[in-house]
Formats: sequence, structure tokens, C-alpha cells
Amino acid sequence: MLNFILLILIYTGIYALMAIGQNLITGYVGLLSLTQAGFFAIGSYVTAILSVTYGIDFWITIPLAAIVAGFFGLVIGLPTLRLKGDYLAIATLGFGEIVRNILNNWDKVTNGPMGIQRIPMISVFGVRVSPYEKWGFLVLVWLFVLVGYLLFERLAKSRIGRALEAIREDEIAASSMGINTTRYKVWAFVFGAAIAGVAGSLQAEFILSVTPGAFTFMVSIMVLCMVVLGGMGNFKAVILGAFLIQFISYFPQLVGLSNVIPPQFKQVLFGLILVIMMIWRPQGILGREKRNAPGSFFRKGGRS
Amino acid sequence: MKKVFAVIMIVALASTMAVFAAGGKEAAPSSVKVGFIGPMTGDYANYGDLISKGVLLAIEEKNATGGIAGKVKVELIIEDSEGDPQKGLAGIEKLSSSDKIVALTGPVFTGVSFAVGQRVQDEGIMMVTPSGTHKDITAIGDYVFRTVASDGLQGEVSGHYFYEKLGVRELGVLYVKNDYSQGLYEGTKESFESRGGKVTIAETAQIGDKDFKTQLTKIRAAAPDAIYIPNYTAEMAQILEQATQLGLKIPFLSSDGFSNPEIYDLAGAYTNGVVYVGPTQVAESAPYKKFVADYTKKWGFAPDSFATNAYDGAYILFDALEKVYAATGKFDRKAVRDAFAATTDFPGITGTINFAENGDLVAYQGVYKVEGKTPKYVGTFTVVDGALVEIK
Amino acid sequence: MGSSAEFFQHLMNGMTLGGIYALIALGYTMVYGILKFINFAHGDILMVGSYIGLFTFDAIRGQTLGPWTIVAFFIAMLAGMLFSAGLGMAIERIAYKPLRKATRLAPLLSAIGVSFILSNMAAWMWGTKSRKLEYPFDNTPLHIGGVSITPHQILILIVVIVMMVSLKLFVDKSRIGKAMRATSLDQDTAKLMGIKADRIIAITFAIGSALAATAGFLIALEIKVYPSMGTMTGLKAFVAAVVGGIGNISGAMLGGILLGLLETFGVALLGIPYGLRDTIAFVALIIILLVKPEGLLGKVEKEKV
Repeated sequence: MLNFILLILIYTGIYALMAIGQNLITGYVGLLSLTQAGFFAIGSYVTAILSVTYGIDFWITIPLAAIVAGFFGLVIGLPTLRLKGDYLAIATLGFGEIVRNILNNWDKVTNGPMGIQRIPMISVFGVRVSPYEKWGFLVLVWLFVLVGYLLFERLAKSRIGRALEAIREDEIAASSMGINTTRYKVWAFVFGAAIAGVAGSLQAEFILSVTPGAFTFMVSIMVLCMVVLGGMGNFKAVILGAFLIQFISYFPQLVGLSNVIPPQFKQVLFGLILVIMMIWRPQGILGREKRNAPGSFFRKGGRS
Repeated sequence: MKKVFAVIMIVALASTMAVFAAGGKEAAPSSVKVGFIGPMTGDYANYGDLISKGVLLAIEEKNATGGIAGKVKVELIIEDSEGDPQKGLAGIEKLSSSDKIVALTGPVFTGVSFAVGQRVQDEGIMMVTPSGTHKDITAIGDYVFRTVASDGLQGEVSGHYFYEKLGVRELGVLYVKNDYSQGLYEGTKESFESRGGKVTIAETAQIGDKDFKTQLTKIRAAAPDAIYIPNYTAEMAQILEQATQLGLKIPFLSSDGFSNPEIYDLAGAYTNGVVYVGPTQVAESAPYKKFVADYTKKWGFAPDSFATNAYDGAYILFDALEKVYAATGKFDRKAVRDAFAATTDFPGITGTINFAENGDLVAYQGVYKVEGKTPKYVGTFTVVDGALVEIK
Repeated sequence: MGSSAEFFQHLMNGMTLGGIYALIALGYTMVYGILKFINFAHGDILMVGSYIGLFTFDAIRGQTLGPWTIVAFFIAMLAGMLFSAGLGMAIERIAYKPLRKATRLAPLLSAIGVSFILSNMAAWMWGTKSRKLEYPFDNTPLHIGGVSITPHQILILIVVIVMMVSLKLFVDKSRIGKAMRATSLDQDTAKLMGIKADRIIAITFAIGSALAATAGFLIALEIKVYPSMGTMTGLKAFVAAVVGGIGNISGAMLGGILLGLLETFGVALLGIPYGLRDTIAFVALIIILLVKPEGLLGKVEKEKV
């Protein structure tokens, strides 16, 4: 039982990293991006390929995973971030599918649908952090979450963060005040992608294998739900959101009901919660962080 | 007001479930728990459903006789993998730590089998997959078994048989980019070309595709001697139907996915003339016929070869459990694994079952030719030292 | 590319694939045009409609093909359409209407929730097996100069054209159609002008959902009926609608056909592996959105300050 709870907490941590990135993109800048699955996959495969094919140590692959994912964030962000609302959503969703498509077809590098197995485990100063001994892995994952949280929270509180919020509230006003909106948007996207890459890297180390089938657009949607359910623009809230979604997903198993109820019930319940939540409390459980920073000035402005 | 109501509903629902769970958790030494992991929801839910029902049938039959040693009931705990290794791992964690299973049947597909296999190996729980065909799965360790032939063998027999017995020299292939289909394609191509044949055109499709006309049009233009379609049932039905629509007159060759009788509902008369390589002579044996009848009666649809493998796997497991219980009076995970590995000449419904040193099924392959809508058994084959051998 | 026969075969294949996208895109584009959100549940409404149609058809059709099977086919299609229309209206009322004033994200997520509920309820109630919808007519292909064309392909292309033309007439000429356009342009102003916007939206949903059922039922002849049948095709159809210019009926048709042809010829002419077909669709989408963000036939919307 304990092992199972620890596993849920590990998954929560991995998804919390992605949700933190999504929060910067969606919660702060207000961009409806649906592509975290793509960056997650890229991070996973960077670690898998480098460590299995080239024998490179995990601690070197993880910054590379972040960089490669961030780079793709730049590549996809530069052209698509000019798009608005749903158009951006569908274009980014498309990008996620392209990533999965390529992973599935580029047999020489990714081993296609067979995926990559036997990823070497992480070691810290010669001590193996095995995914089987859950406490160690849990601590490791949540250290990453803590670092990610502090970095992104700091970023959001800085001048950059206020500029991002300004863009969300009124892009035209923001740009007329001299904010280079495109540049800020792209940067938010790159950071959001990079942290999802880190999450992917950890995921690869936990599962010890990667297959393209695990990175469907459902992953992106889950991450978006975590952000919305927790509360947009609030990093603590999205971590809570990540926990809640994971908890709901594994609830039937946790209480020993997964064998009794029809397997579809869990998904139906999830759908119901989503609909009810949107009607009842669309701002999320904790809602947006309130503060009197100058950024809130823009909130009074008209909506476009 | 409505919102408050909704919240109350959810809380009520959740607490009912918690109560249920607490109620169901009595310690029962009179039963032994076995796990199953497979896709119960999502695109491949059909496979999880078919296969889990093979195991369930075996367990119900066993319990009807009183269970292990006539008194210990076998209980199956099914966990949904959604075809995703992450969910599969959660499943095995729950089965291992909450349910304390002694053995695992499944997982269903290769990707999840790799993730779960490494976990059970570490945890010391034996698993037996009825359908994970990737040749490297059993290489994970000594706790991993399967009651399905590996891609390696099926590919080898297919390649040799197509070349030698059917006289195919130029082969066209249409496979789906998933582990099963691609594994068979690669195995078959290797052995077919080792004999001097040539795969002149190999077209791919995406998981979930239903339209294959573009690929078939290209294959039609390339005009190979035969087209090999190692796919899942629903896809093969689409391919056969669309090939007829395109006026394709080239014979089709297929794999064990064709052993699912659903193909005859979906593709009807288009199945005529297809030659496929699959599990051995099952159509011939009386126990097999009884299984198909019982399964069909109970669930309302017929089993495929994977469900049949799962049923056999369950009975081999019962056999191991019986031995361990008779010797020790309890069910130790390692003892169960050892007893399972020691299985020799088990009389399964798919024939006599033995395991190789690495946990692979010692298997032969059956060749079938469909006449009208009925598969006719051609013979049993295997490959020894690079040569096709017929087993009489 | 071998011969001209092969070329025309690919052309025909691409046209029907595109026709299928166009059929679904028509419903998508109507709903999007008026409410401006991606109705993720559209593909699932399509699936439910196909199941209802399939059950009806199996219940009333005889064993032999004949004029009656064709009549029965259209009765079954109508049943599926009516059920879907009701379902669509109910979903709109329960899951989307309360969110009219919320952020744009709320209805999107709500729609995803609805999609989850529908597809899993269907799997639960009706099982996950593919079910075959029998052809109501003899589908033996015609061979014209080495090109095979099935009656089903012709039917799809005819239905697409009939539906597009009648929809266009309906939206352009009828009173309800005009009210729809007004509501789509500006809901608040439309209300001030005496248009019952809520009713118009409900009607749009009903029509869009009925169109989805029609599309689903027609393509089910070829792809069978199963719980996830609408998901990926629905997504591609939305891509087609965006490419053509969302909210634009001719655009949906153009986008659908274009997408079908692109996927077919991308593989046939350019030698792209078929496994990468979705990549072709999405790359085309991104390029078109960049060059012409409003889609091929869409109107430029000036951003209001």
C-alpha cells in the first residue's frame, strides 16, 4: 500500500514539473498551449537515447533534455506564438502529435514502436537511486520540483513575470507600452518546454523504458487540467492540481475498487469532475494568486 | 444551490467507495490472489477484455472444483494499463503491495510488458504474458515467462514457409507502426531474404488507421507475388476489404492476429484464400473445442489465440500453485516461480507446453489456409538450423 | 508514380478520404463559428450517432439487399441524426451554456470532460469491439480504365456536395440561418436585435450534431463502428475546418478535400512513409495558419482594442 502511495507521489512530482511549465505559458501569459506531451517525450527520449545508445550519465542527460526540449520550444514557439487562442491550441496540439509520429517512425534513432529498454538507473555519488526503492526516488523528484518551483516563482515575480501578466491581460496595451510581446511569449514557451523536458527525463528513469505510445495528447490535456483545476497563475495551486488529478486517476486502485467497478468508470468520473469543476469553479480550487504588485494594474483594463 | 448539490454528490460517492473498500479488505487465508494487467480502456481495450476473460474462465472453472487443493479459491485482480507503461507500473505496484499477489498474468502488450517485467523481476513476482511477442521480453530475467511464441519464431517460420512452400519470391508488406506488427515484419523479412527472396515493397500505416487504399494502390503497382499483412484483426479486415475494392488480385498472407474469429464477421468473404501462420493445430483438439464453446457461451463472443494462451497460462499457474501448496501449505512467490519454471510437458489446450531456459514457450507454428470463411489446418512447422521442418 | 491509372486511383482515394474529413468538418465549423470554441466532444457525438444508426439499421433491415435496405439505411441514418441532435442540445445545455461568460479555457475543458464521458460510457455499454455496418447496396467496385471506384465512394462525395450546398443555402437564406450569422458575429448585439441567441445556439448544436451523425454513419460503412472511431478523425476534421477557414462552410469542404489529397499524394508522390501521414496534416495546418491565419476562405477578424 505504502509503495503504491509513494508511486502516486512520484508521478505527482513528475507531472507537477510539467504543470509548472504549463502555468507559466497558460497561467501567466495566457497562451492556450497543448504541447507539453511533446516536450515531455523529447526529454524522455533524450535521456533514453543518450544513456542507452551512448552510455552517457543521467546527470549529463538531464540538462541536455532541458536544452533540447527548450530548443524545440523555441522552434515551435517562434512561428506559432503569433496565433491566437484556439488556433494556437490546435497548432501546438499538432506539434505534439508530430513529435510522437516522428518518434514512432524514426526507427534508426528511436527504435520506432519498440521503444528503448533497459535505461541505466540514476546514481548519486555512486549510490543507485532505483525506482524500486521509492523513498529515494521520491526525494529526488521532489527536489527537482522544489528547484523548479523556486526558479519559476522567482521568474514570475520579477519584471519579466509582470511583463508576461501584462501580455495576458491586454496584449495590445502591453506592446504599446514598449513590451516586446513576442520575445517574452517565446521565452515563456522555452522555459515551459525545458522544465517539461526535465520531467520527461525523470519519467524515463522511473519507467526505465520509453515507448512512443505513452506520449499522446492526453498527457498535454491532463497537464492543462492540473493547471486549471489547481488555479491558473499560482504555482502552489498547480502543484496541488497535479496531486489532485493523479489522486483522482488512481483513486479506484487506492481504495481497492479498480477490480470491482467497470474500468471505464474512472474515466467517466474524471470527465464528470472536469465538467462540474468548470461550471462550479472555473478559476480553479485556489484561484489566481492575489498580490498588489504593479502587474495587477493591467487587470482593470478592458478585455480584448 | 446546484453547485452545493454537485459537491455533496461527489463527496457522497467518494465516501461510499471508501466504505466499500474497507469492507472488502478482510484477510482471507482461504484464497490466493493472482493479478492481471492489460488495456481495459482506450483503443486496445478489446484485447484486454478478450484476454482477461480467458484467465477469468480458467479461474471460475478451477474454483468450481473447490480451488487449489480443493479448498483455496483463486482470486483474479484486474488492473487497467490503458496501454501506457506508466499506468502499467502503477498497476503492478498496487497488485504487489496492496493485493499481495503471488503471480501476474499479462501484461498484454510489449511496451507495458517491458516496464512491468523489469519491476516484477526486481520484486520477485513471476509473470506470464499471453501476448507480449517481442523477442527480448523474456530476456528481462528468470521471473518472466510467456505462453505465446516470440516474434522471432513466427517470423522465421513465416519467411521460410512463404519462400519454400508457397514459392513466393517477391513479397509486399503492409504493416502498422506498432511493436507487434513491426516485430513480425522484421522477423519475416530477415528469414525470407535469408532464403533469397526479396521484400520489394514495405508500406506502413499508423496505429488507428482505417484507410489503407493509398498503400494498397502503391503495392498494386509494385505487383509482388504476395502481400504479407501482420496486423491486428480490425486492421486486417479493413485491408482485405479495401484490397478487393481496389481490384487487387494478389494473395494475402497473415499472422496470428488472424486467429481471432472476429475477422470473419468483419471481413466476411474477403478472407477467402488467406494463408496465415499462427498457433498450432488448436482447431483440431477436443479440449480446445470445449474451451471455445465454454468461452463463447459465457461471454457471448469467441476467444482469439491470445485469450487461448492466457487460459493455458492460467492452468499452468494453477498447476504450479498446487505443487507449492502441497509441499509447503502456503504460497511463496519464489516457490511459485520455481514450480512454474519446472513445468514439463503440460497438456494445454494449445498442445503440449514446455518452457525454454529463458522462459520462452517451446513452440511450433501452425499454418492455416482460409477456405470461404473457415480456416483449414495445413500443418505444424518449426525452423531448425535455418531450415523449415514440418512436425508430423 | 507508375501510370496515369495509378495517379487517378490516388486522386480518387484522396478525394474520398477528403470527403470524409469534409463531412465531419461541416458540423465542426458550424459549432465553432457560433460559439468560438473547439467542441472536443464532436467526434464522440459522431460515434454515438453511428451506434444508434447501426442498431436501428440492424433491427429493421432484411437479409437481402434491395430497395428496402436502402430505405432502411436512410431511416437508420435519420434515427442516428435525431438522437445526436438531442444529445448535442443536451450537452450544450448542461456543459457549455453555463460557461458562456467564462474564460475560453473553461468550455474547452468542459468539452474534453464530455468527450471522456461519452467515449467511456459507450465502451462500457456497447463494448470495445468494432461492429460492422452492412452495406445497404452492392458495393462491388466499378473499374474505369484501371481505376476502381466503389459506389460507397461516390455516395460519400455526393452527400458532401448535397450537404454543403443545402447548408450554405440554409445559412445564407433562411431566417434561422441569418440569425445564426448574426449571433456568430456578435452575440450581444444579436440579442439586442431581438434574436433569441440561446435558442439559435441550441439549434446550431442540434444541426452540427446531426451532421456529425450523418458523417459517422456514412464512414462507418468503411471504418466500422467502435467507441474511439471519432477521436482522431474528428481532430483531423477540425484541422481541415481550420485550414479552410473556420466558420466557413465552403472552407470546410475545401479544407477537407485538400487535406485528403495532401495526405494521399504526400505519400504517393513524395514518398513520405505513410506512418508520417498525420505529420503531413499538421505541418500543412501550421504553414497555412502562418501564411493565412484566418484559413484559406476565412474572413480576417480585426482585433478590437
